[in-house]
Amino acid sequence: MTAIERYLAPASLDDALAALAGGNATILAGGTDLMVQSHGGKTRLRPVLLNIRRLPELAGHSIEGESVRIGALTTINQLREDATLAKALPLLAEAADRFASDQVRNMATIGGNVCNASPAGDTLVPLLVLDAEVELASASGRRRLPINGFFTGPGRTLRQPEELLTAIYVPMPRLRTVSRFVKFGTRPALDISAVSLGFKAELTPAGLANVRVAFGAVGPTPMRGPGTEALLEGQRLTPALIAKAAETAMAEITPIDDVRATAWYRRELVHNLLRKVLNDVADH
Amino acid sequence: MTVIEKDSLIGKRLTKMDAPEKTAGKTRYIHDINLPGQLVGMILRTDRVHAIIKSIDTSAARALPGVHAVLTAKDLPQKGLGVNKDNPPLKGERVRCERDEIAAVAAESEEIAAQALRLIKVEYEDLAPLFDPEAALRPGAPVIHESKPDNVAMAFDYSHGDVVAGEAESDVVVEDTFTLHRVTHCCMGVSGIIADFEATSGNLTLYSNTQVPFLHKREFAEVLGMDPGRIRIIQPPIGGGFGSKLDIYPFEPICVYLAQATRRPVKLVFTRAEEFLASPTRQPAIVRLRSGAKKDGTLTFRTVDILLDNGGYTSWGATIPFVMMQTFSSLYRVPHCLYHTKAVYTNNPYAGSFRGYGNLQATFAIEAHMDKMADAIGMDALDFRMKNAQVAGEVTPQGMDFKTCGLQDCLTLAARDSDFAAKRSAYAARKGAVGGVKRGIGMASMLHVGGGAKIYPSDGCGTNIKLDDFGHVTIMTGASEIGQGSETVLAQLVCEELGVPMSAVTVVNNDTDITPWDVGVHASRTTFIAGNSAVGAARKAKAKILAAAAGLSNLPAEQLDLRGGHVIRAEDGESVMPLAKLLRSLHFSDKAELVTTSHYYEPPSVHQDKGFKGNVSAAYAWATQVVEIEVDTDTGIVTLLKVWAAHDVGRVLNRLGIEGQIEGGIVMGQGYALTEDMIMVEGHLKNAGFTDYKLITAPEIPEMSIEFIETMDGEGPQGAKGVGEAPAICMAAAIGNAIENATGVRLTSLPFTPERVYRGLKQGAAS
Repeated sequence: MTAIERYLAPASLDDALAALAGGNATILAGGTDLMVQSHGGKTRLRPVLLNIRRLPELAGHSIEGESVRIGALTTINQLREDATLAKALPLLAEAADRFASDQVRNMATIGGNVCNASPAGDTLVPLLVLDAEVELASASGRRRLPINGFFTGPGRTLRQPEELLTAIYVPMPRLRTVSRFVKFGTRPALDISAVSLGFKAELTPAGLANVRVAFGAVGPTPMRGPGTEALLEGQRLTPALIAKAAETAMAEITPIDDVRATAWYRRELVHNLLRKVLNDVADH
Repeated sequence: MTVIEKDSLIGKRLTKMDAPEKTAGKTRYIHDINLPGQLVGMILRTDRVHAIIKSIDTSAARALPGVHAVLTAKDLPQKGLGVNKDNPPLKGERVRCERDEIAAVAAESEEIAAQALRLIKVEYEDLAPLFDPEAALRPGAPVIHESKPDNVAMAFDYSHGDVVAGEAESDVVVEDTFTLHRVTHCCMGVSGIIADFEATSGNLTLYSNTQVPFLHKREFAEVLGMDPGRIRIIQPPIGGGFGSKLDIYPFEPICVYLAQATRRPVKLVFTRAEEFLASPTRQPAIVRLRSGAKKDGTLTFRTVDILLDNGGYTSWGATIPFVMMQTFSSLYRVPHCLYHTKAVYTNNPYAGSFRGYGNLQATFAIEAHMDKMADAIGMDALDFRMKNAQVAGEVTPQGMDFKTCGLQDCLTLAARDSDFAAKRSAYAARKGAVGGVKRGIGMASMLHVGGGAKIYPSDGCGTNIKLDDFGHVTIMTGASEIGQGSETVLAQLVCEELGVPMSAVTVVNNDTDITPWDVGVHASRTTFIAGNSAVGAARKAKAKILAAAAGLSNLPAEQLDLRGGHVIRAEDGESVMPLAKLLRSLHFSDKAELVTTSHYYEPPSVHQDKGFKGNVSAAYAWATQVVEIEVDTDTGIVTLLKVWAAHDVGRVLNRLGIEGQIEGGIVMGQGYALTEDMIMVEGHLKNAGFTDYKLITAPEIPEMSIEFIETMDGEGPQGAKGVGEAPAICMAAAIGNAIENATGVRLTSLPFTPERVYRGLKQGAAS
């Protein structure tokens, strides 16, 4: 049990950042992870509960140059239902479609999903392959960090306690970009991934360019697959290359056994699902 | 004059009487009941699985403001609960599984009670644990209960014929070991109780979710050392039972002791996590089955050896061999059968009763062998079953008397509707353990009691019927409503007799001070037993009414009938007088009388003898289910596409209700087959919540085609038989057969989770 001493729901970003300055606050947005974790005794709430839902700067989205700026409070359902977002970033819309249930999607935010930093977080694998950046604000300033490297462990990120994640920037995919997202749970809905997998590349006459491969739930954080990416970069997809890529991916992940799957099965799934994705791209 | 047309309610689609309230969220469950002065009860459970309790320090908890009582074993008489009386409500000396109760608190709020539990300090000395039921039988294994040094909680043996002779005449013999897992009921309504002593008389009222109120009275009386006549049980609407509320469990007397200690009403309701940790499970089983057949398709023998993981204590789970043996001995005609079972103690959670009561496990093994033997002798899987199927008129070597039997019709109909034979051979021709998505079809049949089960001294049920001056009928029945729709069916049967509309009926079924005795909701018995009881009471009322009407109308009673709320002339439906008017004239007459009747129905079944032989049920239910599936060989995911279910139900009473029962049972069987699993690691449950204990969700529910075979059972109410458990029984067996049809791999362990299937396919492809 935690005694919350103060509950704050500021209407301006400055007030929110001031409240965070002492590092003594727990941030509440959709609450879909936080409430479950605090009820389950897995998260200790700090003395100040800071509701950020009234901060206008964190809502909405816009196109800024070559990137889409997604406010941290954008809900998972907005990712799939907003026509502009879904058209610009179909991979994220697809991940949102596989995310929990409608009730949860109406409340859960993309900022919360990123800060919760679950190895199985549904939007994280797409954000990794899309080269997203996160924007962090604190009373002393703002910084932008690439999402690749932002996750440091299960539930841990580079965000400091006095920082607030305000937005996510995603570069607009170039022409002739193909992308795929596969979430593997044991049932079609309402499931936590046993494995997820994202792929993105540009199809050029010379072969694949700017290849991105990322995996969820196969290590302490959602992770890129540098070995698999390097193998595929600049190449044309042949059956031999696809087989080798699947083998490489299987070898470079670091899964564990848990109640959802054994490490062995996760490796097999990554192998088989990446092979399926690449076969599908090759037929494209 | 008014003519009233004949109209029958039987077979109609009637909305369950409790559905409007439930769907509107207005039903008041035990959670919604709060008595003045009520305290919250909460239980401290152990975090060990096998240990000696060295000390329990409750001083800090007792000192916490708002705490009214803290109880440990030394405050209570040490009376054991359950089938072997081996489970004391609070454990003082030793713990034997994760769910063990150490101390209990009554406090003014949930927060205070939870805080008090955290203040209780327990010291343990761990003992060598025992998790593997096979290890339990080995010499030197840890002994879980001193009174059972061999760890055998219960054993059953049955035989007929001579299996050695049977095997000698077999052309094909198959043998497999099947491993069945542990699942739990997942009732939407969790377990709960409120105990309330009347201050002056000392009488005890319990608000309880039990599905056996009258047996409960006795059991409470025994544990508490009270006169059962002073215990009243009121059942608020129950959010599902499925067998989980069939026994008395430690939390129930604990709550009573807390009420006694505090002289206040105490309410104790489980959290969802507690419901997973501390309510009973389906019985895990290891089934070794050896079966034989002749080339012409005649079954020759079956040898069955079953080991049940009983867990730390003995609830009803240990007795499922009663039901399993019926399936082994009598689902198909088998001339020689030898059957041994043992339920052994371990430090795992203990098993209780669960819809199907062992029959899912037995059917899984048998039906796998039916496919395997058919394939071995080169006979069509349907023809092989048809050849050995029971028929009406058969009395089996176990003594079951099949007065009606629709098994061959079930087989034929389900196979025809699903195009079983053609699909099975087409899919078999393409089967393989690798290479994309494979399709398969599988079949299983079942036999289950459908006319009660004579386990207790009486298998009966009583009904009182009262008619008021306005023609309103009150049915007081011993039979509990646990969501299965019994009150609607009972009202329907009474309306049919008394010619009144459903709106003229109230069913009182939840108060042991009002309702007549009933043995409880189990064994798919309520429609059959309580239905016959209600029909009997209604017929007595009808006879009384018609006799009175004869006196007033100058027509003989035989020429009168009841219809549409009127006494009518039977030959043309002409109203003689409104029923209400007749009832008033009886009431306000010089020989004043109220119409009330009572009927107790005891089915014409018998207790089995010591060899477990005898006609234990007054009727038997039959079914065949066919499933079509896809197996993704890259992931192991099994997708259930369609289910064809053909059920011999005697007769359809409420078509909407029975369809709901079948659909719900199919989904429960699907969960058992594919997704549900209590994941235990060294006696600890790792998935005590719906995140990782996977119930079937809406998108997984397959298309269903449900057919009813009406064999019009001579003993059943309007010809009906029990059907409550039947639809859950075949699914795992049918899906296992379909996976083999799709992939060529025979999986003998449940559940068929993607990982288990994938691993099986890999091994199958390698071998």
